[in-house]
Amino acid sequence: MILSLVFFTFSFVFYLITGLLYLGHWLFGKKWLGQIATSMAYVTLLSTTMVLITRASESGHAPFSNLYESMVLFVWATNIGYLAMEYRHKLKVLGAIVMIIEFFAMLSASLLPYRYKSVEPLNPALQNKWHWMMNVLSPFGLQKYAIGWLDFHVFTTFIGYSAFAISFGVSIIYLVKNRYETNGRHNSLVDAFPDARVLDELGYRAIAWGFPFLAVGIVSGAVWANYAWGTYWSWDPKETWSLITWLVYAAYLHARVTRGWRGKRAAYLSIAGFLAVIFLYWGVSFVLPGLHAYA
Amino acid sequence: MRKKDNKVSKGAEGKAWYQAIGSKLWYLFNSLKLTLFVLITLAIVSIFGTVIEQNLPAEDYVARYGEKWARVIFYLHLNDLFHSFTFQALLAALALNIIVCTFERFPPKWKALLNHRSEKFDPNIVDRFSNSETVSLKVPAETAKGRVLKAFARKKFKTMTFSSGSDQLVYAWKGIIGRFGSDVTHISLLLILLGAIVGSVAGYKDYRAVYEGGTIKIPKADFKLRLDKFWIDYYDSGQIKQYNSLLTVMENGKEVLHKQIWVNEPLYFKGIRFYQSSYGVAWDRVNDAGIAIKKKGESDPQAPVTVKWEQLVKMPNSKYSVKLVGYTADFAYDEATGTVYSKSPDANNPAVKLEVYEGGKLVSTPWIFLKYPGIFPAIPNSDTDLVLEGYHGEMYSGISINRDPGTNIVWLGAAVMGIGFILAFFVYHRRVWVRIRGNGKSTEVKIGGMINKNNFVFEREIKEILDSVKSD
Ligand code: HEM
Repeated sequence: MILSLVFFTFSFVFYLITGLLYLGHWLFGKKWLGQIATSMAYVTLLSTTMVLITRASESGHAPFSNLYESMVLFVWATNIGYLAMEYRHKLKVLGAIVMIIEFFAMLSASLLPYRYKSVEPLNPALQNKWHWMMNVLSPFGLQKYAIGWLDFHVFTTFIGYSAFAISFGVSIIYLVKNRYETNGRHNSLVDAFPDARVLDELGYRAIAWGFPFLAVGIVSGAVWANYAWGTYWSWDPKETWSLITWLVYAAYLHARVTRGWRGKRAAYLSIAGFLAVIFLYWGVSFVLPGLHAYA
Repeated sequence: MRKKDNKVSKGAEGKAWYQAIGSKLWYLFNSLKLTLFVLITLAIVSIFGTVIEQNLPAEDYVARYGEKWARVIFYLHLNDLFHSFTFQALLAALALNIIVCTFERFPPKWKALLNHRSEKFDPNIVDRFSNSETVSLKVPAETAKGRVLKAFARKKFKTMTFSSGSDQLVYAWKGIIGRFGSDVTHISLLLILLGAIVGSVAGYKDYRAVYEGGTIKIPKADFKLRLDKFWIDYYDSGQIKQYNSLLTVMENGKEVLHKQIWVNEPLYFKGIRFYQSSYGVAWDRVNDAGIAIKKKGESDPQAPVTVKWEQLVKMPNSKYSVKLVGYTADFAYDEATGTVYSKSPDANNPAVKLEVYEGGKLVSTPWIFLKYPGIFPAIPNSDTDLVLEGYHGEMYSGISINRDPGTNIVWLGAAVMGIGFILAFFVYHRRVWVRIRGNGKSTEVKIGGMINKNNFVFEREIKEILDSVKSD
């Protein structure tokens, strides 16, 4: 309990600091601030990784078994996704928005009621480990750290979620930027963002990552369900919503690739897709009845 | 058939009516607008299947939504949406859409991509791309060409060279296979749908509750299953950790396989899976009961004797033997028919039925009650009464039986989809043209081309190629 909380607190503060540094870079356009912000983002990533690792060692299972843990996973994956994007496309101003949202995500995770946070032993349906991994680890006495379909399923799904979150954020900025560009208006903060054309493409690239990851998440969930519930697909609300979300993004891809939807319309579809993700992640657990315990 | 053609009514373009309909349908399913429509409709329709809980008993819908809305729900099959005609028709439309589109688009795409090299190389083609760059080098054209080819080779492009007049032309390409990613993905979807169909046609689902020592006959199979043991594991905190059943497969009376199953670890035998899906305490039988003698005039019963289910036991200090033959968890008596039944599966009023023998002769068949000892004398006209002091319930294990020969097709489809995604999203098809034009002293290298997606990669790549052409 203790160590993971320490790391959580550190990460929480780090996200705030990182967000402020990126914000400073955005507001004042100072290059050195941006460089410090990026280094700080890596430190924050390391610290978030440590939250997951220590949490796993405290609970004895992969740290994805309740809402609190899955929020940390989400923040972690989004951080990685952002840093990958920053590295590939050399764009720092988006960092201000991403990191501040990350900070609020950490804040909301920390404010969750206790029952969504506590370390609980896994119920029977959640105990699934790969035999081959147990066999590999058991000579070293580490078989308790073996993972299984469930862990893989949650992990890949969340990578998908965070890619969609990034696309969502980029799409919103696109809409703002596009409005300024088409009206020929200027504002130094908006001008600091990449061109609308670039944002449009970035929004698509993020979905091109999220879509296959969500698919892998859905399939691995099906594999697991086939072990745990006796059928690979049972139209449980969570399953169905994951399919709905996936279909919305499939529609996005087709609209874009086959019908040439770019720009605004694509951005609106990406936003609609992310609303489906939010419902998939939060709404289903709290609003609809079903078999899934949380995420 | 041919001869009759003239008798069939003709469509507008002189086609037989079925041909006209056929080509209309073909046209419809060839439409990419239809794809968008079907994808979005499937998404929206599915929402109803998550908001309205599926497959409840009819009364529940009436209770929840009122009679009027319940009728709407049943009329539209919203209570079993995913098996309704509407939903299946949407899936069928998706499948047809994919099939027709693939038929229409794949062959020309295949041809164009195979033949791309034979395209006539037009020396001015490079002028047409928005992604184009020009550099001027102080080296002869041949040297420049060598550098260009080397730069492409380093980036793993394939190349061809031409010449046109005094111009040297290079065509380079990479990642053609990525163009087939979408087709591979679409085929994989068809495979998954096929797997689902095979499963629903050729598979079945069933459920059996079985006691320790009991056997299960399996539908459409030539083997049986015996439950040797059922038990529950607990965490130290008292929470349930796992449900386990020890199963033995019996074929022709011989034991062929033992396996311990638990939630997440089914038994797989001859295409059928057996899952630990539930458990419970029987309401109509017990493992054993503690029966005690109570003599008239004594205030306390004697020490109880453990009597096993359906076994005859001699009661000490008496002339009686008893046999345990019945149990009811929640005892009730139906006056009209004179039968005993259980009001609920819960042990609210547990009672056991005994057969009491005296010297080998059946003298009484009383029900005795845990909560009401002695309300009816167990043995008529005797100074001895029998009381129920306790019992051990019999646990049963709930085993789901599932045969789904489509599952492997679904997994195959999923694997193919993975390949499709890698090709579609991460292999980009680039085509690059380079024109090298020398004028003796210096050489102008113009490079331009296109990529099917991810322009960023392309812009960067073209820059890098130019850089290495310049610096070599
Ligand atoms: C759930 C259903 C579907 C999924 C998941 C799916 C998936 C995909 C994917 C991943 C791509 C590549 C997108 C990209 O390159 O960014 C694609 C492209 C395409 N899809 Fe689908 N698809 C589906 C249904 C359909 C249907 C029903 C059609 C019917 C015609 C269709 C026609 C196409 C076409 C024409 C392309 C573009 C091909 C190309 O540019 O090479 N798709 N699809």
